[in-house]
Amino acid sequence: MSNVLRTPGGALGASLTLAFIVVAVLAHVIAPTDPYASIGSPLTPPSRTHVFGTDDLGRDVFSGVVHGARTSLTVTLAVIAIASVVGVAVGAVAGYRGGGVDDLLMRGTEAAQIVPRFFLAVIIIALFGPGLDRVVVVLGLTSWPAIARVVRAETLSLSRREFVDAAHALGARASRILLRHVLPNALPTALVVISLNAASVILLEAGLGFIGLGDPRAISLGYLANNAQRFLRVAWWMTLFPGAAIALAVLGLNLVGDALSDLADPRRGDRAARMA
Amino acid sequence: MRRGQRSVVLVALLVSVTWAIPAWLDAQEGSARGGTLVVAISADPGHLNPAITTSGATHTAAELLYNGLLGRDERGDAVPDLAESWTIEQAGAVYRFRLRNDVTWHDGTRFTSADVKFTFEEVLLKFHARTKASMGGALAGIDAPDDRTVIFRFKQPYAPLLLQLDATEAPIVAKHIYQGSDPQTNAANAQPIGTGPFKFTSYRKGAEIRLARNPTYFKKGLPYLDELMMRVIPDPGTQVLALENGEVDFLWGVPGPDQNRLRSDARFRMAQTSYHPGGSNCIMTVSFNLERPILKDVRLRRAIGQALDREAFLRQVLFGEGRVATAPISSELTWAHAHGLNMPSFDRAEAERLLDAVGWKRERDTTRVARGVPGVPDGTRLAIDFLHFPAFSKYGELMRQQLGTVGIDVTPRPLEPAVFAPTVFKDRNFDTNVISYCNGPDPEIGVRRMYHSSQIGPAPFTNAAAYRNDRVDTLFDQASRTVERDKRSPIYRQIQETVVQELPYVWLVETPTTRAWSAKCGGFKAWTGLFAEAAFCKR
Amino acid sequence: MSARYLLRRLAQVVPAVAGIVIVAFVVIHSAPGDPVLALAGQHGDAAYYAFIRTKFGLDRPLPEQLLVYAGNVLRGDLGVSYVHGRPVVAVVLERLPATLLLMTSALMASSSAGIVLGVAAARRADRPADLAVRVAALVGYATPSFWLAQIAALTLALGTGLFPVQGITDARQAWTGWRYAADVAHHLALPALVLAANELALTTRLVRSGVLEALATDYIRTARAKGLPELAVIRHALRNALLPVVTVIGGRIGMLFTGAVLVETVFAWPGLGQLLLSSIQTRDMPVLLALFLLVSLAVILTNVMTDLAYAWLDPRIRYE
Repeated sequence: MSNVLRTPGGALGASLTLAFIVVAVLAHVIAPTDPYASIGSPLTPPSRTHVFGTDDLGRDVFSGVVHGARTSLTVTLAVIAIASVVGVAVGAVAGYRGGGVDDLLMRGTEAAQIVPRFFLAVIIIALFGPGLDRVVVVLGLTSWPAIARVVRAETLSLSRREFVDAAHALGARASRILLRHVLPNALPTALVVISLNAASVILLEAGLGFIGLGDPRAISLGYLANNAQRFLRVAWWMTLFPGAAIALAVLGLNLVGDALSDLADPRRGDRAARMA
Repeated sequence: MRRGQRSVVLVALLVSVTWAIPAWLDAQEGSARGGTLVVAISADPGHLNPAITTSGATHTAAELLYNGLLGRDERGDAVPDLAESWTIEQAGAVYRFRLRNDVTWHDGTRFTSADVKFTFEEVLLKFHARTKASMGGALAGIDAPDDRTVIFRFKQPYAPLLLQLDATEAPIVAKHIYQGSDPQTNAANAQPIGTGPFKFTSYRKGAEIRLARNPTYFKKGLPYLDELMMRVIPDPGTQVLALENGEVDFLWGVPGPDQNRLRSDARFRMAQTSYHPGGSNCIMTVSFNLERPILKDVRLRRAIGQALDREAFLRQVLFGEGRVATAPISSELTWAHAHGLNMPSFDRAEAERLLDAVGWKRERDTTRVARGVPGVPDGTRLAIDFLHFPAFSKYGELMRQQLGTVGIDVTPRPLEPAVFAPTVFKDRNFDTNVISYCNGPDPEIGVRRMYHSSQIGPAPFTNAAAYRNDRVDTLFDQASRTVERDKRSPIYRQIQETVVQELPYVWLVETPTTRAWSAKCGGFKAWTGLFAEAAFCKR
Repeated sequence: MSARYLLRRLAQVVPAVAGIVIVAFVVIHSAPGDPVLALAGQHGDAAYYAFIRTKFGLDRPLPEQLLVYAGNVLRGDLGVSYVHGRPVVAVVLERLPATLLLMTSALMASSSAGIVLGVAAARRADRPADLAVRVAALVGYATPSFWLAQIAALTLALGTGLFPVQGITDARQAWTGWRYAADVAHHLALPALVLAANELALTTRLVRSGVLEALATDYIRTARAKGLPELAVIRHALRNALLPVVTVIGGRIGMLFTGAVLVETVFAWPGLGQLLLSSIQTRDMPVLLALFLLVSLAVILTNVMTDLAYAWLDPRIRYE
């Protein structure tokens, strides 16, 4: 892990990602102002009182961006959680069982990977109405294939090792082997996939917000970008800071993912695992 | 010079001058004639038949292809169009129109009264929502005794007819095209034949509509433009960019944030108007669902009205483009708009006092709870929802903030138009909402439907509040039967005084729009759908 | 590449398509309210709803309904859009060419630029220039496409006056022949550029690592030592790097469509993007479902094509 920080790309990426996480977690401390409150006069440029300026309703943009980052982080973590649970389950079972079960599960994984996430999210929101929970469920249920592949590969390679047979002979249950050996070994590669996935979740949420399908009750970076559209010419700060926040978060996650994957196997052939 | 010679010279001079003046005038017109106008429209119209729909998108695109019996001038009064004159008989129960005899359809067929009778009976009264709702029940019959005469007979005197006959409310379509077919699926809806100043050339779905000058238009000399092109540009910001980049010449509306910049740019002209092909004289109106126990007490509704700072709405949502509503009827309808009404004024202290008086108390929570409110169990929180189109989300934001300060918890719920209408009017599943209620050119057209008890029902954009008042019903019926404006005014005044007292709605702001166009062009009539009839573009 | 492999790969399309149809079906029937609204949209009248009910067999048991739905889809009958008054397939196919044009142009631009940049970065690996190229490409990927589009419209179009901000053709003049092509290209430039900027990072990165790998092989090192011209070395290394680029395109088609939709919105490009937006507003569900199925199908087909291309390009791969 510390090796990541030795590469310049990895260091930059890690610091950006860490900054994003810290800001999001400490949102209420860093930006105690209520992002929904109209406290300033509308459309004022960045100043000492409002570091990122105010929007058309007089709300503090800095506060909006910080709390928006928090929302984006929450969504991303939830999506990763769902994707990890499903992905690990599918990958482990497929790798462990092998044969017909493996084949079937891999077909399912391919099918899930094909589904265009953005368009499915659009349909779900059109049918069920907007809401962050819908976004999380849709993205979570379509993001697990990459994780499943990684876990399966690791399970397959491990299940050939002698110590697994030995452990088996000693009566250890499959789940224990999974937890103690498979997952820790799969973690580095899985992290690559997860970081890249997280980046695309942030972009997808922003895209949905941009076309007006975001959750209106939650300040999210996508909502801010959507709102800022009309004011591009008169209030550049309304669109610059949310856009930059998105870009920096995605950049950081990608750099970390890159550094991790370079480390994990610099001559790796399975590039399909990247850019999930 | 001898006298005889002088006379000859004088005569020659006179003749040449009288001959030259028209030629000079022609040359003036000639310099205005020609050119292409590019107009930005916000949505693809789908089809080009404005008689079967009230959709703003279709009317914006298609009205230049048609005419109505009458048109409207800048002040909103009726002027001749397809009808050259008219008489009102039997105190307004019979209207007799004399039609022009020099009008032809774009395919050369002569226009006659049969087209008018057919359009009303088979098309408008079946498919055009506003015409059907207003005229449908009142009309006894339409006669066309000869090619140039149409007679409208009503069961009772019917006041608003003259303002309902333009291309927006009652465009006339061709009988020989639509007879015997379903007007909604007739192929002519995509390749229209009308009588208007422009004829159809092509329609690329989702992209553009091309119109060409109608050389046989009955208003001699018009139109000036050779071609008119409409581009579908859904994003309002891109529309402005396109205008500034010279790619389009005319915008139907300018977003608030961009108005100051365009106003100070000498390359463009702007004009504000309350007319829009989708509906004129519109007021953003908050409706209360009077069937909900929480909202039954008029003092609570008044408190909400007084907690709202409508100037803030005007500033922050409309960027100053508009007016605070001072009466339930739009100020554009000058003869019906009442002055000096007891509208709820912005007074937070008074709002708080009223809420306490009704029984909504402030306790530990920021939101008030019911203590002794009739019909509401003790401990209920004063929490309401607020439905709106996504485009109106700013109204939701401001409602939440402003009512939050007096202890009312508002949850804005954005719903796309397709979902909003059934939720509000069919299921009545809402506490409050905001609707852009367009009064139309006459209160009978757009105002009656908000208050008359017969208008409570699943049809969209009718009486959302479910307001019932027998006296108001009677007054409306009376007003529709009285033709003279000076006699209708006091009736509408009484109606407005009553509804301001009973507050089924809160009237927020009037919403005109601002048209913008390149200074190279001019002659636009922003108050009508035939906006480019006399437009020109300098080359 | 053997015929057996070809047939096997094509056969795999069937379960993929079936999976997508099932997903769409499940979504339709899990939505709250009457499924007829999910299939026909909110606008229809009673007659239209009755027509849709019969067409999709909504009164029959669910498994039967699935078969009816699948049958309809496979026949290319995705229903009629009440909002447009025409078959859904016609509405979608009308707008498809503009979007395809945008996507292919962006792909070609990003691929060519990616190759150039990737090679440059590989040759200066681990030096500052390498990091600079990678970060720059990544910034293009990380910046939301709608944001880039707005900035581009403002600065490159309005700012310079060199490019138009909207549409696919000039509004004032209808050109023909090669002038028409030039007009379209003029309008295509900015949207394709923005979309390409989004895709650039991926290609750059893949080419870079592929070239690096190839340059490290014994074969190349020997060839270099023997004096093989640098250009030939690069060419060989490039051939190795292009394989994964081709594979990844299949996986990116979904995101490319998404990016195209967002960019089209800003530039008023008359493609599927505007159709998507207006269909969301009118809850025109048949069109939304058709778009979903279409993009899914595109992903499936592109995957097949890239797999086949991969197998054909790399003779070392034999999937028996």
